[in-house]
Amino acid sequence: MAEPEFLLDSNIRLWVVLPIVFITFLVGVIRHYVSILLQSDKKLTLEQVSDSQVLIRSRILRENGKYIPKQSFLMRKFYFNNQEDGFFKNTKRKVVPPSPMTDPSMLTDMMKGNVTNVLPMILIGGWINWTFSGFVTTKVPFPLTLRFKPMLQQGIELLSLDASWVSSASWYFLNVFGLRSMYSLILGQDNGADQSRIMQEQMSGAAMAMPADTNKAFKAEWEALELTDHQWALENIEEELMSRELDLDGMFSKELPMGIF
Amino acid sequence: MASVSEMYDVTWEEMRDKLRKWREDNHRNSEQIVDVGEELINEHASKLGDDIWIIYEQVMIAALDCSRDDLAWTCLQELKRQFPGSQRVKRLAGMRLEALEKYEDANKQYDSILQDDPTNTAARKRKISILKAQGKSAEAIRELNEYLEQFVGDQGAWHELSELYINEHDYGKAAFCLEELMMTNPHNHLYCEQYAEVKYTQGGLENLELSRKYFAQALKLNNRNMRALFGLYMSASHIAASPKVNATVEKANVKYATWATNQINRAYQLAGRGTKENKCSVKAVEEMLESITMS
Repeated sequence: MAEPEFLLDSNIRLWVVLPIVFITFLVGVIRHYVSILLQSDKKLTLEQVSDSQVLIRSRILRENGKYIPKQSFLMRKFYFNNQEDGFFKNTKRKVVPPSPMTDPSMLTDMMKGNVTNVLPMILIGGWINWTFSGFVTTKVPFPLTLRFKPMLQQGIELLSLDASWVSSASWYFLNVFGLRSMYSLILGQDNGADQSRIMQEQMSGAAMAMPADTNKAFKAEWEALELTDHQWALENIEEELMSRELDLDGMFSKELPMGIF
Repeated sequence: MASVSEMYDVTWEEMRDKLRKWREDNHRNSEQIVDVGEELINEHASKLGDDIWIIYEQVMIAALDCSRDDLAWTCLQELKRQFPGSQRVKRLAGMRLEALEKYEDANKQYDSILQDDPTNTAARKRKISILKAQGKSAEAIRELNEYLEQFVGDQGAWHELSELYINEHDYGKAAFCLEELMMTNPHNHLYCEQYAEVKYTQGGLENLELSRKYFAQALKLNNRNMRALFGLYMSASHIAASPKVNATVEKANVKYATWATNQINRAYQLAGRGTKENKCSVKAVEEMLESITMS
């Protein structure tokens, strides 16, 4: 049965849809600046800095080891992976899992995260629900099942209304997620207003991936390095080089710049 | 004396952009920086806004290079006033003490920075350069090795260590440092060339072969590296002239050397088009190459 198309009062567009977009956007920007103000300094210990650089060096050895002679590569691989005293075999770091209970700075970070992100969302969502209630705001372009009705049509008590017509609260939530790309455009990447990214971080556990994983990272590097072989890139370099004449174009034609400017 | 802007007819914005370009490219043209920067600071300080602080830092380091202690002192005072208690400014104060050769005071300054923040790399590196300035190269090498044990990724430090080892004629260890640099910068032809030169200096058939390969790699990365071209020629002819090689290796190396000779001649022909002096140098190169081939 074809539903008759509703024609919504254009006042709704002017006074509901647009204000909600503005409100969401402004709240997001304010959240971003507040999160910057409340950011706590992350102090790194010498050991953490050193370990991260060692891991980088090992990775570079795996990737670019083919540019150094075979002997040098094997020497370095031996240093890292040797059974008795290889670096990765022997170094065990004291692992303190950063659970929220034991690490006070993590606790405050989590609290600040919650305050700046979840709380405003709930407050403003509720306020919008209370202010702009009782009417349909917009229609989503795809059909929805009836299960969505109580969720998306909060204030409207019509049994026969198509579930695609949604209330203003759901329009607000749509905006919260939709404006994420706008925030990246205006505030640059990695901004504090990016809600979904923060929720992803909370879901994946500790926000800082380094501390607990140092031992695991070492083990992973050890395995990867064991598997790496040395394929010397310079094996046939002379033949490759001498297959054609050197390109000496432009070597002597440039005027040297005189003076500063 | 005419000011920079009068001599070159540039505006203060262009001068500021030029300083930024030198900052980003890490140029050490200290006299030019002092000329341009001093005028910017004296005449156009108000227009620069917040850029002025980084310009103060840049000009101060350049002034220390040129023994302009007056200018360095002014810059340091301004920075101290704006950023009291900053470690970056403390390091600059230490550098000024170094320039005045007050090494104990400078060391105390750097130690106080390290007490507050043990991960501060700049202060540690300055202490090592004090040792180098005092001529204590063995200690400098030891300290630099300790530094590199903890900060394995610092490429400038690896390069500095390789230079120190070369000065001590410890070519094996210098080669190790250069290998680190080659791995982290596989497309930089200068590291390949320097590595090849170190291997060539070490001598011995294996090292000569390695050096020939790395000269070739440097040439492959940059066809116009004349030093690498000459190096390729020298290493190939040395291997060919060595009594220990068999016929095939000798033939291959003679082929490489001849190819290098041709390329050198080509390059000098290109350079020699035109002026008389260049024609003389072309002839000189040809004679040199012939003489080396004969011997």
